[in-house]
Amino acid sequence: METVRVTVAHYSNGTAPYFRQMAEQFERANPGIRIKVEDVNWDSLLQKLQIDVAGGVNADISIIGTRWLPEMLQDDLVEPLDGYMDPAFRARFIGAFLTPGQAQGKTYGLPIAASVRGLFYNKQMLAKAGFPDGPTTWSDVLQAARRIKQNGGYGFGLQGKEIETDVYWYYALWTHGGELLDAQGKPAFASPAAIKSAKLYQSLIGEGLTQPGVTSYSREDVQNLFKQGRLGMMISAPFVVKQLQKEVPGMQWGIVPIPTAGRAATFATTDSLILFKNSRVKRSAWKFIDFLFTKAPRVAFTSAEGFMPTTQEEAADPAFADPLTRSFVDMLPTARFTPTVQAWEDIAKSVSNAMQAVYLNRATPEQALGAAAAEAEQALKKN
Amino acid sequence: MTSARKPWLLIAPSLALALFIIGYPVFHMAYQSLHEISRFGVVRGFAGLGNFTGIFIDPVFHATLLRTLIWTVAVVGGSLLISMPLALILNQDFHGRSLARTIIMLPWAVSLTMTAIVWRWAFNDEFGMVNLSLQALGVIDKPVQWLASAALAFPAEILVGIMVSMPFTVTLLLGGLSSVPQDIYEAARMEGATAWQQFRLLTVPSLRPFINMAVVLNVIYVFNSFPIIWVMTQGGPSNSTHILVTYLYELGFRLGRPGQAAAISLIMLAILLAFTWLYIRMQPKEEAA
Repeated sequence: METVRVTVAHYSNGTAPYFRQMAEQFERANPGIRIKVEDVNWDSLLQKLQIDVAGGVNADISIIGTRWLPEMLQDDLVEPLDGYMDPAFRARFIGAFLTPGQAQGKTYGLPIAASVRGLFYNKQMLAKAGFPDGPTTWSDVLQAARRIKQNGGYGFGLQGKEIETDVYWYYALWTHGGELLDAQGKPAFASPAAIKSAKLYQSLIGEGLTQPGVTSYSREDVQNLFKQGRLGMMISAPFVVKQLQKEVPGMQWGIVPIPTAGRAATFATTDSLILFKNSRVKRSAWKFIDFLFTKAPRVAFTSAEGFMPTTQEEAADPAFADPLTRSFVDMLPTARFTPTVQAWEDIAKSVSNAMQAVYLNRATPEQALGAAAAEAEQALKKN
Repeated sequence: MTSARKPWLLIAPSLALALFIIGYPVFHMAYQSLHEISRFGVVRGFAGLGNFTGIFIDPVFHATLLRTLIWTVAVVGGSLLISMPLALILNQDFHGRSLARTIIMLPWAVSLTMTAIVWRWAFNDEFGMVNLSLQALGVIDKPVQWLASAALAFPAEILVGIMVSMPFTVTLLLGGLSSVPQDIYEAARMEGATAWQQFRLLTVPSLRPFINMAVVLNVIYVFNSFPIIWVMTQGGPSNSTHILVTYLYELGFRLGRPGQAAAISLIMLAILLAFTWLYIRMQPKEEAA
């Protein structure tokens, strides 16, 4: 009897029951293997992994934020999966989603959860503001937000604290034609496009088109404003669709791609399933991984949690044929990932700090982003 | 065996255990601070004083150090200033005194994290109790963004800090007051001393050991106090409300630099040791004066 321990992220209250159900199904088909599932709150997952790994008591399989992978690789903690994957297995995936989990030509993480971001808009408010189908460009956003303000609402929800404060700025950066790293791999936060996009957010705040007190709003806080029907537009992830449908069923809202200023772009992110190198039951663990990435378990997981399909078969499933999911799937060609470099957590923090300084008017975009670029360059050099 | 050695032998096992329990973490911290440690606790090599120099050139660390001093002085000083009159009042015999004492103690019984969460809600700009009350009283006409910038968030956190340090300080001072003999006040009154003179010349000197204890213990607690700032602002926005202990947590667990975090905790240990040593040195002089 072999026991495979699995650490999963707590995405919703359905996550743990889902994995337990999968474990049961798998155990029935594979007598001799026992699956032990432990679910951990997303906010404490990294900390738990740190402590487990340092103490040598980590599970065999774990869900991780893909951006943690480079650091885990440097510590040689993750088993490369190429030896286990045959071409048929590889072909199951939508190609773009495999890339973030790869490094030096090897695959270390499999995309278990993926999302891209779109702009959510309140149909009633936007119709009154003259954009019944939502904005398509940033100047649409400005115009619509001004009218929404006149009508007594908040135009554009801007997130200013905690996780993904940096990402909220990347939307503007990318759509203005900017990049995170330049061709030499150096941070390009202070490029003209970057300054322009920071100034855009600054002027949104300056004109009072966002909710007041941007730096006290986390992602959830902005979503809550939207759910209360007080916010015209916000950028968020597909899983908010499920929340909106459940929590405010009467509300009329729509989704459009991120507003453009010359280029279409959105942020994509994946969470990966990895196999730890120190696992003593790798074969059995792989069997379970293989099972999780077959069609039925994938469809059940992705549709229940409100993520994007990452395998071809699930993408073709009728469960994802509704127009809302399609509108996210259609954004995939313009999707961008943050660079997988080791110091990314540091760099993201520098960008968040810079944006907070801009939002609070404590620094000009040039100063703040210049400082962030210098910090990021230091962080990149260290590794 | 001489009788002088016997007591040492008797306490040796517990002494050894205590040394191990205290010594091991300190040793481990020192080890980590001198090595390059990855986020996942893997030792990558000897770093020399690299972690320390890394901190000393970090402008956030300097701002944080200064802020920690402001935080400690303001919270400890503030809670002492408020606790003293409170303790004096609660020491008087009046109807409902035990109820009043219980009310003062209650915040102590609630976990610090929970208190901080409640205050985070209270300071919320949209539905927070603070803004709603101030608006109802007509003090402000539109909601104030309490936690959006350090200029308001940090003072608010200091106020919460004072509030949660008060119960302990009041308890200590009350204990002190009950040990002051009442007849010296009678004698003072017969000599015609005013209430202020009685307070300054009798109460304060007899309370001195208790005030000292309150200062030393509070400094250690407050200096190391994590939940209020972490729960309310996580050291943000833009690193502007960090104190050393929240910054070291961020370095260790968010930015993945346990080595630098260990270096900061050693520096904190040194600061507290220096403070305690200074305080002990000052004691006899004060008593002699």
